[in-house]
Amino acid sequence: MSDAAGGVRGRDFTGYRIAGALSALLFLVLLAWQIVFMLGGGDTVTPEVAWSSAATEGPDTPGARTGGGTLVAETLTARTRLQDERFRTGPSAEGDVPERALDPGTRLTTAPLEDGSSLTAAWAVPDDDSAAMMHESGRVEGRSSLPYANAALFERPFARDWRIGMSDVITHMGALAILGMAFLLSAVLALRGRVPIRRGKSGRTVKRFGFLERATHWLTAISFLGLSFTGLAIAYGETLFVPLGARAMGTLGWWSTWGHVLFAPTFFLGILIMAVMWTAKNLPSRLDAQWLAQGGGFFSDDGPHPPARKFNAGQKLIFWSAILGGLVMVLTGVTLMFPFYWLDLGGMSWAMLIHAAIAVLLIAVFLAHIYIGSVGMHGAVHAMWSGRVDRNWAAEHHDLWLKENASDTEGAR
Amino acid sequence: MARAKFLCDAERCIECNACATACKNEHEVPWGLVRRRVVTLNDGEPGEKSIATSCMHCTDAPCVSVCPTSTLYQTDIGIVLHDKDTCIGCGYCFYACPFGAPQFPKSTLFGSRGKMDKCTYCAGGPEEDHSEAEYRKYGTNRIAEGKLPICAEVCSTRALLAGDGETIGEIYRERVVHRGFGSGAWGWNTAYYPGDAG
Ligand code: HEM
Repeated sequence: MSDAAGGVRGRDFTGYRIAGALSALLFLVLLAWQIVFMLGGGDTVTPEVAWSSAATEGPDTPGARTGGGTLVAETLTARTRLQDERFRTGPSAEGDVPERALDPGTRLTTAPLEDGSSLTAAWAVPDDDSAAMMHESGRVEGRSSLPYANAALFERPFARDWRIGMSDVITHMGALAILGMAFLLSAVLALRGRVPIRRGKSGRTVKRFGFLERATHWLTAISFLGLSFTGLAIAYGETLFVPLGARAMGTLGWWSTWGHVLFAPTFFLGILIMAVMWTAKNLPSRLDAQWLAQGGGFFSDDGPHPPARKFNAGQKLIFWSAILGGLVMVLTGVTLMFPFYWLDLGGMSWAMLIHAAIAVLLIAVFLAHIYIGSVGMHGAVHAMWSGRVDRNWAAEHHDLWLKENASDTEGAR
Repeated sequence: MARAKFLCDAERCIECNACATACKNEHEVPWGLVRRRVVTLNDGEPGEKSIATSCMHCTDAPCVSVCPTSTLYQTDIGIVLHDKDTCIGCGYCFYACPFGAPQFPKSTLFGSRGKMDKCTYCAGGPEEDHSEAEYRKYGTNRIAEGKLPICAEVCSTRALLAGDGETIGEIYRERVVHRGFGSGAWGWNTAYYPGDAG
């Protein structure tokens, strides 16, 4: 329980540390999987379905297939020839109709294809003739008589970069950030243990958060978690759930999309009330520099904690992540719900990228917050649950705040 | 092996919109959605050109890559198809599409996105060929009958070409040699040769 220096130490929480070690191991495996996945470079789109030709039609020979791809190619190519100049081919008096071009018995049908990667590789390289006849890539927009958004757009090569930003950069970096943070937190728990109350619990409590503060916190927290899980299901569902079947992912995705929208208003309300309630106490002060310089006293049980008022610098950072990050999420999110209401396609593309990038960052950051508010620090969770904290906890982490409230023994504030 | 492509000869397109109209009619594409449309460049100025556009059925198709629910998939002749039953209307394919092809009905709650619709190259969808369900969700399946997309086959000036890429390339090149000019295959670089694009 105590050692030469006296008092409770982080490493005394043996059970927590074992759990931390186990989950560190788990997250290390997941991280390794993610890195292998990322470096696997399997992001090229390959065909999943192959056409084949069912030569005869009729109930007697269901699915009887002949010729496979070659017959399909011959049939379609013959038909393609019909578009050539009429004097040469096609339905005209002089021309010869290519064989199979107008075959009424033709039936082409599809079946799953094992590995189409060689096809994509072959398609991607133009032969000299095709290379010579191509119009160069570039943004092309004209005019259209249709009354729809983007109807006048012809070509927008930026979309290919958007795809790289979305499916290669943000998705992979997000997974790294989230799994990496989870691993770090588990490792900290294993090596360092919980942040202890050095002098143990005094048994006397002081009021820390009122009902409105707690209600707002949990409204925001639950909404945030709801948004995170539904958002992650959409972003990573293809990797995590499609093995269960594409239809299962379709259903899950559909629920997630609508669930995502439903959690948004309560989240917005939560951060608004938080902003009104807590901004004054979260403005930067000189104490914060000292607190940050000492790492919040987080990594060592020895030596005094840096002084803090109601919120220390770490909590202020969390507060501002919630408020500013949350505002960006709400703004981009509402924008995405009403396409082209105030942004054009370029703007919408950026809104989507920003929404996704900030989302994975916020999830990683709030993992750390949830950790320190629960298992990471002995006695912390009571602040947001019952609203009262142990006096010794308050003295160690928020000494100046405790002094300001010291006049009332049971702490009415 | 055939590789299905679209090529619009901008020197021949007369903006008659027959392709767009035939497409709408063939597949009974709902009000508010267009699978094929015509874009006019430099409208009313010298050098005016019109190009019919739709899903180009890209190589390494970005829409397929970003789709979170594996709704989009490609066939071995390059045709990109979609499964309306798994689409969640997230719109990612729209942001990733270099040609603005995916369409979203504004039919759901909040007037937001419904399930995506786009050109199927007249090849239907994952439902059974020529079934009622396939027709309702995706329109007719001409490829199954060995035919090419209706938009190209109705084109009166033969501006819009569909079918095997090599073959339509040949037809186009011969035409350009014959008449002595041509502005090239619009969109091909972006659509079909992703690594090659500058
Ligand atoms: C579900 C797990 C969560 C737990 C266990 C938790 C716990 C706590 C605790 C104990 C505090 C008070 C710290 C103190 O006494 O000073 C707190 C404060 C706070 N929480 Fe949470 N929280 C959770 C989720 C969230 C989420 C998801 C958000 C944001 C969207 C959030 C935002 C905040 C903010 C802004 C504060 C005030 C600043 C701070 O203390 O860092 N919390 N939380």
